[in-house]
Order: sequence, then C-alpha cells, then structure tokens
Amino acid sequence: MKIKSNKKIGPEIYKMQLMSDKKITGEPGQFIHLKINSDSYDPLLRRPFSIFDLDYTKNLLTIIYKVCGRGTELIKKFEKNDKVEILGSLGNGFDINKNNKDILLIGGGMGIAPLYFLAKKIKDENNIKVLLGANKASELNFLENKFSKLGIEVFNATLDGSLGFEGTVIDLLNNIDITKNEIDYIYSCGPTEMLKKLKSIVTENKIKAEASLEERMGCGVGVCLSCTVKTTKGNKRACKEGPVFPLKEVIFNE
Amino acid sequence: MSKNLLNTSLGSLKLKNPVITASGTFGFGTELNDYLTVSNLGAITLKGITVNESEGNDLPRIAETPAGILNSIGLENPGIKKFRKNIIPEIKDLKVPVIANISGYSINDFRHLAAEIEKEKIIKAVEVNVSCPNIKNGGMAFGTDSEMIFQVSKEVRKVYSGPMIVKLSPNVTNIVEMAKAAVEGGADIVSLINTLLGMAIDVEKKKAVLANTFGGLSGPAIKPVALRMVYQIYENIDIPIIGMGGIMSGEDAVEFLLAGASAVGVGTATLRDPDASKKIINEMKNYFKENDINSVKEIIGKAHY
Repeated sequence: MKIKSNKKIGPEIYKMQLMSDKKITGEPGQFIHLKINSDSYDPLLRRPFSIFDLDYTKNLLTIIYKVCGRGTELIKKFEKNDKVEILGSLGNGFDINKNNKDILLIGGGMGIAPLYFLAKKIKDENNIKVLLGANKASELNFLENKFSKLGIEVFNATLDGSLGFEGTVIDLLNNIDITKNEIDYIYSCGPTEMLKKLKSIVTENKIKAEASLEERMGCGVGVCLSCTVKTTKGNKRACKEGPVFPLKEVIFNE
Repeated sequence: MSKNLLNTSLGSLKLKNPVITASGTFGFGTELNDYLTVSNLGAITLKGITVNESEGNDLPRIAETPAGILNSIGLENPGIKKFRKNIIPEIKDLKVPVIANISGYSINDFRHLAAEIEKEKIIKAVEVNVSCPNIKNGGMAFGTDSEMIFQVSKEVRKVYSGPMIVKLSPNVTNIVEMAKAAVEGGADIVSLINTLLGMAIDVEKKKAVLANTFGGLSGPAIKPVALRMVYQIYENIDIPIIGMGGIMSGEDAVEFLLAGASAVGVGTATLRDPDASKKIINEMKNYFKENDINSVKEIIGKAHY
C-alpha cells in the first residue's frame, strides 16, 4: 500500500491514510499489521492498528495512532507516497448485525479509533450515542468532530476537565443513569482498566456489551501466542479470535 | 537437477529443502495456510506439547529488543491428550514431514510424551525440548545439565523409534558437552539454539517488561551466538544438526549450512512475515544457482576447511 497522508491531529496523535490499487476489505474492529521497515530488522515486529475508517470505493484505509514508542516514532515520519507492507485486515471485528437498537459506544484514548468505522456502518439502522474519554481536550477535538459530523450525539470526558465531564469515561458513564437510558447494547474499546470497570457495570445492569482489547501482539496471525486473552471459554488469541470479544466472556486479572 | 537442488537429509529423515519451521512460531501447522503452501517447506515443527494442558504465563509475554524479541509464552498448549484427539486429525493430511516438540517437567513426562507421539504415524520425528527458558521446574533446567540431557534422551530413546532430535539450550558454558550427552543418550539429530535467557526493563514503570521477568531472546540479535555453537558442535559430533537462531534470509540460512548444519529452523522471521520460510527457500535457491552449488551436501560444514 501507499501512504496518501500522515498528519498530526493532536498531541502526539496522528492520522495516516493508506491507499491501494487493489480492493481493500475490512470490517469495524478488525486491524491491520503494519511493517515499520523493509530494510532493517530493528524494530523487528510489525505494529497493529485498528481500522479508523475504510472507503471501499476509493480503497482508502485510515488509522489513528498515538506516538508511544520506537515503532510509532518511526511511523510518524512516513511520508506521502512511501510504500508500506500491510497484513490484513486481520482478526474478528464487532458483531454489527444490529437493527433498531439503542446503542452506546464507549472509547478511551486511542481505543476510540475502531468505534468511528463502526459508528459509520451502523448509524443508519440504530440510535447511537458515543462516550469519549481522554486526558485533555486537544486529544479529543478531532475525534469529537468526526463523530458529530456523522450526526451522532457525543459526550466527552477528560481527566483535566478541559472538555466535557472531568474524569474518566467510566466516571462519565456512572454519571449518566444508564438504567434510565434504556441501552440495548454497548460497543467499547480502550485500556484494560477501563474495560474491566465497564464489565462490572454492564454485568450489574444486564446490558450486552462487546469490547475490543488492546493487547501487546507479536505475529498478528495467531501463531506466537503473545496476545492470549483469558476468557470463560478458555484462552483465546486477541489477534485471531479477537480483538473483539463479548465483554462478559473476558476474564480480567485481579 | 534444479528440482532437487535443495534436498537434504537428517539421517533417515529426507527433506525436499533445509527449511524447517521452528517450534512455537508455526502453531500446529495449519494457521498460516493463507500465506504459504506448507507442503513446499522442508518440514514443520509443531508448538511444544506438555503432558497436561497449560495456560502459559501471564501477560506481557513479549517484548521487542534491538533486532530481537524476548518471549515468555510459557508453553501454552492443549496437553498431549487434546493434542492427539483434536490436533492430529487436523494435520493428518499435511504433505510435509511433521515434527512434534515435547517438553516436560520430569523424565517421566518426557517418556510419556514420547510414547504417545510414537503412536501417531503422521509425526515423522520428535524434538525433545530440554531448553525452554520459560517454564519453572523443568525446561531449561534439563538442558543446562549434561547428565540430565543424557537421561532424558536415553528414556525417550527407549519408547520412541523414529528420528529423535534434542533441542539444545545456548544458556550453557560448554555446548559441545551438551550435544555429546544427547548423542550418548541416543539422539539422532541435535537442533540449536533455543532462545537466550534475557530481560528488558521499563524505565518509566521501573520494572521488568515481561510479567515473567525473564524471557527467551530470539531474532537476528542472537545469530552470531547460534552460528558459533553450530560450528563448534559440527567439529565435535557426527550426527546431523538443525541450525537456528535469527535466520531471516536465504543468506542467513546458508551461513548455518556452511557452519555445519544439514537443515535450518526459521522461527522469529515468521513472526515478522508469515511467509518468511517461503522467501528464505527461494533466496537459498538463488544463492545456490548464482554460486554454482549443486547440492546442500556440497556446502555443509564448508566454513571449516
């Protein structure tokens, strides 16, 4: 694939558009595994990014990422027309067979990324609200705007209170009385700590939920067993059976 | 000529080319069908099997290091019973020599596993893993003690009639002594190296990156160590060697042949590119053609003369 653009959209947050001559397939919640370098073994492994947006007609795939290590430090320097090797789309995405439901999307940090593609796909058939959480306003402005443009009602939470509710996205959720809001289904993605708390809330309120997990991955294709997730149905691989799982099946460490 | 250019043999085990997938990087043989044709490989080694089902170690289990990876998967596997019941039927039609990798916490474990593998005709060889750095009370504890290597090999030999490969740990002072112990115990082939014990520390959290603290280092970073050990063993023992450790290209593989290996294991490369083995076979073929080499045999151990 070829890079169409790679732009900063927030503090250390970037948006990269990739285009291909061939048909790109992918569903919300799936990810791509991007090779950082073809001419060096350092860094050695690819990096997984969930699909933020995918335009099937233009064969244009978008990812959003935060620079947080050696890999993303290099990726942020990629320029227009650079060629990159991609595996994917990989993994199992969200179950999008929903109709006429009241749906809540909950995203924390870069976990917001896959929810945008999801929202785009299911918004016409369902009634959607989205809860976004981040450290500060500048991390959310771009994303909030994208969801708003889809005509979706957005509720923000920032740790420093610079946008919306002051606190985490889970604090925000607790602040909304979800029992009164008649929510049929929740889709979520974010840090493990957030998903763990979300699990106890949805269990208590008997709401069905799915979560996309952010696990450290190796191969991305199911052979190295680095990204094992403990579930009620035994060990699963985030890269293969996941990254999306029914939240009630995920067993979090104490 | 060209069709058989890369043929090689490990004693009675005949391979169409020297490239064998390394244990733990190729699942149970069917996971990567979208990326390569398994029957084009020399052989495949399955994920390590223990007597009982194992959930493996806590996460994080992987850390990237300069030109390498540290892993502490901890032998997550379904156990020998489920392996025979569920996995064997899935792989029985594979048109490639299949090597089972067994790992134990006691000599009894190894004997039991080898006896169970003996019953499966699809398995063409057994690799005795006395070198896993990621399991406590076993694994590498066997592989760093020549007497234990001898005992384990001897017991496996009693119950397993096919080619027995002993996989050696590099975490020893004298690798030749370990290889000799395997030969004395009845090994037909040695494979090396398993991963080098290492660690990484997160300076922000001020603690080890891996939940297991230590892990096994693999990838290009360890290739010089692996090559040196293959070279040393070739000079001192007479059984075939499967060389591995950081092989990413055809040229890397050729280096191992020159050091004395009859076949090579490709592991970490697959985690970067699922079709790495295929690419390595093609690159070896090109190297052979460009250098007028007519058989693998011609270059095995050539760096010694």
